[in-house]
Amino acid sequence: MLKVLIPTIMLFPTIWLSSSKWLWTTTTMNSFLIAFISLTWLKWTSDTGWNASNSYMAADPLSTPLLVLTCWLLPLMILASQNHINSEPVNRQRMYITLLASLQTFMIMAFGATKIIMFYIMFEATLIPTLIIITRWGNQAERLNAGTYFLFYTLAGSLPLLVALLLLQQSTGTLSMLVLQYSDPLLLNSWGHKIWWAGCLIAFLVKMPLYGMHLWLPKAHVEAPVAGSMILAAVLLKLGGYGMMRMMVMLDPLSKQLAYPFIILALWGVIMTGLVCLRQTDLKSLIAYSSVGHMGLVAGGILIQTPWGFTGAIILMIAHGLTSSALFCLANTSYERTHSRTMILARGLQMVLPLATVWWFIANLANLALPPLPNLMGELMIITALFNWSPWTIIITGMGTLITANYSLYMFLTSQRGSIPEHITNLSPSHTREHLLMTLHLIPIILLMLKPELMWGWCN
Amino acid sequence: MWRRLFATVPAFRAQKAPCRSFKSSRRSDKDVFEEVEDQFRAFRKKAVKAMPGSDWSPFELTPGLPPERADVVIIGGGVVGWSIAYWIKRKERTRGALRVVVVEKDPTYSQASTVLSCGGIRQQFSLKENILLSLESADFLRNINKHLWVTNEDPVDLQFNHSGYLFLASEKSAHVMEENYSTQRYAGAKVVLLSPSQLKERFPWMNTEGVALASLGLENEGWFDPWSLLNAFRRKALSMGVYQCFGEVTGFRYSTQIAEVAEGDFVDFRRIKCVNVRMPNSLEYQPVECPVVVNAAGANSGKIAAMLGIGLGPEESVSGIPFPVEPRKRFAYVVHCPDGPGLDTPFLIDYSGVYLRREGLGGNYIAGMSPEETEEPDISNLDVDHEFFQEKVWHHLAHRIPAFEKLKVSSAWAGFYDYNTFDQNGILGLHPLVANMYFATGFSGHGLQQSPAVGRAIAELILDRGYKTIDLSAFGIKRIIKKKPILERNIV
Repeated sequence: MLKVLIPTIMLFPTIWLSSSKWLWTTTTMNSFLIAFISLTWLKWTSDTGWNASNSYMAADPLSTPLLVLTCWLLPLMILASQNHINSEPVNRQRMYITLLASLQTFMIMAFGATKIIMFYIMFEATLIPTLIIITRWGNQAERLNAGTYFLFYTLAGSLPLLVALLLLQQSTGTLSMLVLQYSDPLLLNSWGHKIWWAGCLIAFLVKMPLYGMHLWLPKAHVEAPVAGSMILAAVLLKLGGYGMMRMMVMLDPLSKQLAYPFIILALWGVIMTGLVCLRQTDLKSLIAYSSVGHMGLVAGGILIQTPWGFTGAIILMIAHGLTSSALFCLANTSYERTHSRTMILARGLQMVLPLATVWWFIANLANLALPPLPNLMGELMIITALFNWSPWTIIITGMGTLITANYSLYMFLTSQRGSIPEHITNLSPSHTREHLLMTLHLIPIILLMLKPELMWGWCN
Repeated sequence: MWRRLFATVPAFRAQKAPCRSFKSSRRSDKDVFEEVEDQFRAFRKKAVKAMPGSDWSPFELTPGLPPERADVVIIGGGVVGWSIAYWIKRKERTRGALRVVVVEKDPTYSQASTVLSCGGIRQQFSLKENILLSLESADFLRNINKHLWVTNEDPVDLQFNHSGYLFLASEKSAHVMEENYSTQRYAGAKVVLLSPSQLKERFPWMNTEGVALASLGLENEGWFDPWSLLNAFRRKALSMGVYQCFGEVTGFRYSTQIAEVAEGDFVDFRRIKCVNVRMPNSLEYQPVECPVVVNAAGANSGKIAAMLGIGLGPEESVSGIPFPVEPRKRFAYVVHCPDGPGLDTPFLIDYSGVYLRREGLGGNYIAGMSPEETEEPDISNLDVDHEFFQEKVWHHLAHRIPAFEKLKVSSAWAGFYDYNTFDQNGILGLHPLVANMYFATGFSGHGLQQSPAVGRAIAELILDRGYKTIDLSAFGIKRIIKKKPILERNIV
């Protein structure tokens, strides 16, 4: 754990002490090194699961894929931001990369935490750099609104979580996941316990986001710069899923009844957000709403608490993280050239940027869960688990899959196919950096297809 | 006993002692409940300012600033600019898909060509495209309330007088008029040719000496109120969600791609990233980031094009060809002649260049004349040259209509043509050197009458990739670069 965390913290002096000529090169190379070192976590040496060097930070099959995803994403974010940040003064560029590196540090500590309170503190800490990125480097005046929604939705959900955790500490004497997984089931028989259950989970449901509390997500994703969108879509949403998976262990048997409304909301959200996607005119907004839909499926999978549900949830989280981040990078390449996110004005791009069309195609196929990509595996496991829980859910999940395919194809056909408007016939060609970025997003998805045991969680 | 007591103090009774009331506030006519309600109302008004729905913000933003990002920025808030804004909003398939911003320098429209125009519309051109543009626009104007009516507002009244245009030709130019006539009939205009005797029969007040042929428009020709059309477009576009900004475009932020041509020369291709809009009476400017810019700035289009380097390159190259639109001043004189021709007066255009139309029902007429190329008036201001009327216009007017020998000039004004010095026809479409600026300017005096159709054409270019209803590729900028003018064969 420390062999990744210490280099990440040492990124801060790297950023501030590099000369301006070598700033981007050194930070990218160093973050790649950290990413490759993090791949060593994937080798599980102990049978119990927890790879712990001390009792404060550990990695187990649930958190390892998310940790590797986090470490993998930092070099990609730095690559993606290189172009639009270049025009700013050097110290501001350093500040930007510092914020990205600090997000990385907080998230490694969050996913690697064994004490739930440490996870909570890191969960909250990630809000600050994200807020700064959105409100300082976002593109329009609406970013202030977006930052407010983002901050206050999450904070309002997580204050009850703090109280719930303190109560848990009081009643069980410990907040360590290593211990709590073996503790006796708590006696949860009063109304107060029901509210405690809700308090434990609301923060993560808002973060995921669950359909009824998802308003912050389209705003935050659209107004954030590309690195902000990438980190939000790929990892920050998964904090919610991961937190829910950890907390559900000690929330039995209340979950059997209390989870009902949230499962229904999540599944309904899959359909509703899919339909909203079909009517979107802003490209980033479309990808943001598709994130809500996918995470709704994940929330459904976690709340039913079956092994396949958990496995499907974590596979879908990893696959969706990489896919959504790839789509945001592609949307950014289009935005940097045409200065517009409106789909009508930047269409028919296959004529101008043909190789980028290949990346668009693969990313959209991944989004609509094409076999044999891991997106399908995750979705299929969740759908099967839900069907086992209640056969009626197949109607909703089936319709949801259909609508997802619909809007993914709509996104591809509108942005790439068709005739190109005259004012974008001469766009600057794709940079190698952009191709590298897309390759680094899509190759892991394809490789994971070949060895999915890496992300199966506890089902080995 | 009481009476005796009171009888001893008659003086006091006559004079009432000054008495102060117990209330400290002024006496009001309202009762207690009304006063309480007043106080509640005042409180609610104050509270509204603090509520989330209000537009109070802790940052002091300059009012009237355009948004930081837009999809289409239309430079110029004249009739062409607002027509384009309306048509773009009409053609977007999802509501709110495109953010359109119209930037206008002068909210009073004091120097705008639109409102200073005589407002005529005709189909008697020699170019098929011009005829089709005017025909479509006339159809739009006749059904204007189907297009531009806003619910709950008054219907649009353009005061469209369908009196037609009457062109007069001398011996020398009669053959041109006949050829134009066949082009016009083929394109669908309702025009008729008149011989001098038919002319005299129809319009007995005219002196037909020197006239060999005349052509009269029977339908879809006449004049209307340009201010009403501008406001109709503006009101409808604003109701559809177009942003209006009063400010001046002072520059652009653009990216340049340098390409090497076959001969080894280097050409700069520019792509506009932001439009810098400066607020009125201030140094503050807002860069509006946008993918598409439309230059509908009328007489100032040449200045806007020069901001992008068009015309500033080496002389032999494409970038050395300046954008050929510049302002030209034209005068309109309002004359009063009580014995003048009556209601059936068409918009008369004589072969000497003088034109005349009826204005209102009180014996007033608007007259004017195109000056010679060498005698163009000074464009630094909009002052009227009354000598021009006395020396040039009146003479021809009185010759053609004898009743006009006795008239009185009641007023006059001057306006700018967005004059296309190359071939006096509109310029529509993209410039080869600037990737994302559409031009819709250079109409040289017939912009107003073609504005509805031009707006639709530009919207088709932006949203549908090409012209769908009328093919206006002949009006592209290519003709200027290839130096192949398409001139109107007017008889004037």
